[in-house]
Amino acid sequence: MRKLLWITVFFLSFATTAQAELQQASFNNGVKLIVEEDHSAPVAMVQVWLKVGGRDEVPGKTGLAHVFEHMMFKGSKKLAAGEYSKIISAMGGNDNAFTSTDYTAYFETVPAAEVNRVLKMEAERFANLKLRDKDFQSEIKVIMEERRMRTEDDANSRMFEELSAASLRLHPYRNPVIGWMQDLQALTIDDVRAFYNKHYVSANVTVVVVGDVDFKQVKKVVGKTFGKMKKRAVEPRFNPTEPEPLGAKRVIVELPAQLPMVAFTLPVPSWVPGQNDKEAAALALATEILAGGKSAVLHQVLVNEQRSAAGVGAGYDPFTMGLDLWYAYGALGIGQNVATFETNFWALISDMGKHLPNARRFAAAKRSLIANAVFAQDSLYLRAKHIGILETVGIGAAQQDKWLDLIRAVKPEDVRDVIARWLKPNRATTGILQPKHNVARKGA
Amino acid sequence: MMKVWMFCLGLLVSSQAVAAPVVQQKILDNGLNILLIEAHNVPMVAMKLVVPAGSRFDAKGKAGSAALLSAMLTDHTQKHDDQAWAAKLDDAAIRLASGVDKDTMSFSLTVLREALDEGVQALSEAVLQPGWNQQRFEFLQQNAISAVTKAREEATTYAAEEVNKLLFPNHPYGHAVSGDVQSLKRIHLKDLQQVYQQQVKPNGAVLAVSGDITMDALVAALKPYLNVWQGKPVHVFSDIKSPQPSAQQSAFVTLDKHQALVEWVRLGPSRHHRDYKALLVLNHMLGGGGFGSRLMEEIREKRGLVYGVYSFFQPLETNGAYTIRLLTKANQAAEAEAVLRDVLKDLADGHISQTDLNKSKRNLMGSFAQRMDSNRERAGLLAMMGVYKRPLNYLQNWTKSVSSVTLADVKRVAKQYLQPKDWKRVLVGPDGVQ
Repeated sequence: MRKLLWITVFFLSFATTAQAELQQASFNNGVKLIVEEDHSAPVAMVQVWLKVGGRDEVPGKTGLAHVFEHMMFKGSKKLAAGEYSKIISAMGGNDNAFTSTDYTAYFETVPAAEVNRVLKMEAERFANLKLRDKDFQSEIKVIMEERRMRTEDDANSRMFEELSAASLRLHPYRNPVIGWMQDLQALTIDDVRAFYNKHYVSANVTVVVVGDVDFKQVKKVVGKTFGKMKKRAVEPRFNPTEPEPLGAKRVIVELPAQLPMVAFTLPVPSWVPGQNDKEAAALALATEILAGGKSAVLHQVLVNEQRSAAGVGAGYDPFTMGLDLWYAYGALGIGQNVATFETNFWALISDMGKHLPNARRFAAAKRSLIANAVFAQDSLYLRAKHIGILETVGIGAAQQDKWLDLIRAVKPEDVRDVIARWLKPNRATTGILQPKHNVARKGA
Repeated sequence: MMKVWMFCLGLLVSSQAVAAPVVQQKILDNGLNILLIEAHNVPMVAMKLVVPAGSRFDAKGKAGSAALLSAMLTDHTQKHDDQAWAAKLDDAAIRLASGVDKDTMSFSLTVLREALDEGVQALSEAVLQPGWNQQRFEFLQQNAISAVTKAREEATTYAAEEVNKLLFPNHPYGHAVSGDVQSLKRIHLKDLQQVYQQQVKPNGAVLAVSGDITMDALVAALKPYLNVWQGKPVHVFSDIKSPQPSAQQSAFVTLDKHQALVEWVRLGPSRHHRDYKALLVLNHMLGGGGFGSRLMEEIREKRGLVYGVYSFFQPLETNGAYTIRLLTKANQAAEAEAVLRDVLKDLADGHISQTDLNKSKRNLMGSFAQRMDSNRERAGLLAMMGVYKRPLNYLQNWTKSVSSVTLADVKRVAKQYLQPKDWKRVLVGPDGVQ
C-alpha cells in the first residue's frame, strides 16, 4: 500500500460478505464492471482491480508489482506527480492502493456525486502514465524505507518472510510482495515500463463500485473511459502446481527480539467452485473452530489450559488462485518453551483429525462466519474488496452467496477429515524466531 | 506500529458535506447517558460503554491496573467461568471487547440485531458482575507482562517512555496505559477491585449506540439489566490538572534497528481548548493530511527519505501530546530532521496562503461523512461526544465550525504551536542516531 498498510498474506483475515445484489457489465476490450448499489449514505467506493500481483513477477524482479503501484501516483499526461491524490482530497475524498500476491487495486472513497469524475481520472492515468526515471529513483527509496519499516525492523514479519520462502519450492507465493531488498536495489525504470506494457492492459481490469450510484450511469461512464482502452491479448497467469511436501522442514531465524515466536505453514487448496466446494468450506470452518472468537480451540487449549503460549492464531484464505499457505502461530511468553509448544500444538491437531469437533463449538463457528458476513456489510471498503478479490482470482464475484451456503452445509465429519488430510506435521514447515537479545541504552 | 499509522490516517478519512445523522439522547434514572444514531441498512447494532477509568486512575507505581481490570471484566464473570463465558459469547456471535486509554475505559459490543438482547445481557454481566477469580487474574497478569516484554521489540515503545518523561513528569498521563514489567508485578487483585469500586459507575458514564434500533427499543432492552447499576464515580472526567513538561529538551535511545525513529513532541490542546478547530486545520496542513501535507511533500515526495511522516495530537480532558513521527534509514535522520525543522518554521512564520487553507478545509469537511459511514465509527464518535460533553448538534455543526476557521486563526495558532524551539526531540535507533 502506498500510504497505509501493505498487508502480508499472513495477517489477511478472510472476510466473507454477501447478500446485496450485484450488477455486472463487460466491455469489448475485456474490461469488466461490477456495481453494488447502496443508497443509505451519499458516498461511494470506487476500486480498480488489476489481475497482476507478486505472483506475476520473474526471479530477480520481485517487488515490481508493488513498485508499480507506487508509480501510478507519479503523474500522467494530464496530471502532475501527486496531483491525482490532491484532486481526490479536495473533493473530500481519499485514495490509496494495495498490492497482494494475486492482485493490485486502486481505490477512492468519494462523495457519490464525484464518481464519474473519479472514473475518468482513473482511466486517464491508466492509459497515459508518465513513468519518469527521476520519479522512480525517488520512489524506490521510499519503498526501501517501507520495507525497512515493515520487514527489516520487525522481527516477526521477517521470520514469516523466511518461513514463506522455505515453505514453497516452486510457487511464486514464496516471494514477499514488497520484494527482496537485493531486487529492489537492482530494479530500473525499464523494468517498470516493461511491466506496465505487459500487465496494465484492458483484459486485466475490473472496475468495482459500491455505494450511492446508479448502475446504468456508471456503466455509461466506464464504457466511455476504461471501455475505450486499446484491446490487447493477455497471456494466462503463471499458476504452477506446487509439488507435495516430502517431509517436515524447519527454518530458524535469529534476530534482535525479546520473545520467541513459532509458526507453521502448510500448503492447502483454496476454493475452486464446482471442484472442491466441500473441502474448501470445511477448511474455512476448521480454521474458525481453531482460531476464531473467544472459545477458539487453539486459545483454549494451548494458552488457557496448557499455558504453552501467550497468544495463538491461525489463518486460511480460501479466495486465492489455487493454493493457500495455511498458517498457525504461537507467540511465546516469558518462560515458555518452543519445543513444548510444538509438541502440544501437533498433539491437539492430531487429536482433532481423529475426533468430531465439539458440537457447540462447531455451531458457534458457523454462526460466526455468517455473522462476519453481516458485519462486513457495514463497510463499503470491505464489500468492494471482497467483490474485487473473488473476481480477480478467478472465482467470480457472482459466487459470493454460494460460499455462505457451502459453509452452512459443512458437516462435523468434514471438519475432522480436512484436518486429518491436510494439517499433518510431515507436510509442515516450521519457522522459529529465536531472539538475539540486545539491550537498549539511553542517553540525553 | 501499524495500528498507530492507521490511527493517524483514520483521523482524516473522507467525504462530502452532507446532513449529519441525528443524535438522540436519553439519560437513565441512574445517570447513564445514552446517545444513539439510528441506522437501519445493516441488521446489526454496535455500542460502546465508556466510564472514567482510564490509565490516569492507576495508583502510583501500579501502571497497567486499569488495563488489567478491563481485561479481567471481559474474561469471566461471577456467573460464568472463563470457558463458559467464552462459549456463551460465541454461541450468539457476540463481539465483546474492552480497552483503556489515558482518560477512559470502554466496552465495545457488536451484535446481530437478532442477538441484541443476549448482547446487552452479556455487556451488563461483564460490567456489573465481575468474577474476581484469583487464578485468572494471575494468568492475565502474566500475559500482560509477556505483552509489554514483546512490545520492547518496537522502537515506539522506547520513544513513548521518553515522551512520557519529557511531557508528563509526575502527571497521571505520564505512564504507559499497558504498564511495564515492574509495575504489572506490583498489582494485586485488590488494586483492580479498588479502581472498579471507585470508577465503574453509571452516573456520568456514556453508552454510545449506532445501528438497527430505535431509542425506545434500546431503552427497553437495557433497563432490565442496567437499572440495578447505581452510583457516582469518585473522580469525574474533568478532575485533572494540566501537565507541566520537564525542562529537558531531548532524549536518545540506542536500539539495534536499521531505521531511526524520530519523534518531535510538545503539549497539544485539550479536547476543550478554544483553538482546537484551528489547530485541527493547521495540523492537516502540517502532517495530518497524509499526501498533500507539507511534511509528506517535503520529506517523502521531494526527497524520498521516508515511507510516511505524520503529525497528530491526542486531545484529552487536559493537554495530551502533539507528536510528529517519522522513520528513516539511520544515516538520513539528520537530513529528515533538518527538513522537519524548516517546515515547522515556515508555518510558524505565517507562510500560509488562503488556497492552502481552503484545500485543507475542503478535505476535512468533505471527509467528515466518511468518518461516520459505519456503525462502529459512529459509536466511537458518539462516545467521544458523551465523554467530552459535546452538544447534541456537534455533528451538524462540525463542518460549519471548520469552515469558520480563518487564515488569521491558523496563522495565530501556527505562531503559537509550531516554533521549532518549543518541540522536544526523541530519537530511537542504532548507535550514533543523535
